[in-house]
Amino acid sequence: MAGNFWKSSHYQQWIVDKQDLVRERQEDLKYLTEEEYTKVQIFFANFIQVLGEQHKLRQQVIATATVYFKRFYARNSLKSIDPFLLAPTCIFLASKVEEFGVISANRLAGSCTNVIKNKFGYAYSQDYPYHSKHILECEFYLLENLDCCLIVYQPYRPLLLLIQDIGQEEQLQTLTWRIINDSLRTDVSLLYPPHQIAIGALQIACVILQKELKHWFAELNVDMEKIQEIARAIVNLFELWKGFDEKKEIAGLLDKIPKAKPNPPVTAR
Amino acid sequence: MQKYEKLEKIGEGTYGTVFKGRNRETMEIVALKRVRLDEDDKGVPSSALREICLLKELKHKNIVRLYDVLHSDKKLTLVFEHCDQDLKKYFDSLNGDISLDIVKSFMYQLLRGLAFCHSHNVLHRDLKPQNLLINKNNELKLADFGLARAFGIPVKCYSAEVVTLWYRPPDVLFGAKLYTTSIDCWSAGCIFAEMANAGRPLFPGSDVDDQLKRIFKLLGTPTEDTWPGLTQLSDYKPFPLYPATNNWNQVVPRLNSKGRDLLQKLLVCRPTLRLSAEQAMAHPYFTEN
Repeated sequence: MAGNFWKSSHYQQWIVDKQDLVRERQEDLKYLTEEEYTKVQIFFANFIQVLGEQHKLRQQVIATATVYFKRFYARNSLKSIDPFLLAPTCIFLASKVEEFGVISANRLAGSCTNVIKNKFGYAYSQDYPYHSKHILECEFYLLENLDCCLIVYQPYRPLLLLIQDIGQEEQLQTLTWRIINDSLRTDVSLLYPPHQIAIGALQIACVILQKELKHWFAELNVDMEKIQEIARAIVNLFELWKGFDEKKEIAGLLDKIPKAKPNPPVTAR
Repeated sequence: MQKYEKLEKIGEGTYGTVFKGRNRETMEIVALKRVRLDEDDKGVPSSALREICLLKELKHKNIVRLYDVLHSDKKLTLVFEHCDQDLKKYFDSLNGDISLDIVKSFMYQLLRGLAFCHSHNVLHRDLKPQNLLINKNNELKLADFGLARAFGIPVKCYSAEVVTLWYRPPDVLFGAKLYTTSIDCWSAGCIFAEMANAGRPLFPGSDVDDQLKRIFKLLGTPTEDTWPGLTQLSDYKPFPLYPATNNWNQVVPRLNSKGRDLLQKLLVCRPTLRLSAEQAMAHPYFTEN
């Protein structure tokens, strides 16, 4: 549904106010600092990325799954549904919506078990407790909490258009693409329209590559203040990420999150 | 589900049973579409998700509204605006007679709904009288988006076998893999003729060959000259070279010359020459008295 972002549910319902986001997060900030909360989000974005790559998903699908994840926890506390269950459920739903095809819930639960055992053992020492029936049940809760707004606009397409306008710049495109991937670990996908995120990421890439595009940026008809906010959010992420020893820290952080209530939404555990 | 009282069954949809329902608070009548979750490993069916996604984005008076999605123990129910009947049932109630004003009004509404979908980069892909709902104010609404999809992102080829045979354009019948909005405009043309004939389908083919033959006997068999690229289509095979008929007044005897002209501009074999929904809405047929 390209080209109609301003009329989309994404714009009308899911570009939220910074203050609202902070307010909704208070419950989680009782036991995590803001910085710790971001680290947890970084961890689960990584988890979704690895899980998606296991199933050979396109980046677009992985990005959509990650945005579902962020939207869910923008309205719900981390203790409402175990993020280790919500993450594969987001992949499950996104792969259908993005017409990648259906991944069987069984296989998905299986690959969670493997991925956790082989790659994220430092974060989760038990066996993965969820089965396909939990994913299927969780899908309903996810749908409901997203208010059925399933079409997510991503910054990747706007990026390609911007690059086309600048002229073939392969290095710049590749780097910006990666920065957009990284931006999924921040709140920008909840706060700003995708084309602004693309421009913010492009700006950072220009700084890194020491590309002089001041004139080109000046001619863009966009709110440069917003672009600066986005760029700042991403740069802050990089700072935090650099000092984040995930292997050492994450288990402790996850332990601080009160366990998801057994019922509802999820019956097992 | 407390909010709605389930009334009688209305029909079977692409992915589940449809019931009439009543909102207990407002007494409003709605359509409840119960989503079947039969493949136990797939969760909510893709077709239902597609419909939910698209209807969430498409709000227009000629497109059926999705009010609510409810879930209660292992069942998912979509709550739709209710319409009294579909165009197929409307035809059945006609006894072979339809007002030409109604034909024009329905056709215009069909095109307007379609133009809106297309402007949002959504193809319906399965237009047929059963999927066009009519309420008691004679408002027509496009429904059943289970096969529809957004075409914004050129991903893989769309799956074959999507449109009911009778309303399928020749490019799709020949296996064209990349279809565009023109697929829906062909179907709209077929429905236009069917309405003008009070419910007699224009091309009631029994299989792909028969379908193509019926089309070519009316429009003439296309050739590489009239339709470059035709012979490269994956399922292309040659057909006898039927000439085009010029007795359109026998095909749609009740339609006036402007109506016939519009019909002929929608029923064009070569997809790129077919009128778009937007263009069709601007046709003089709709502005004459």
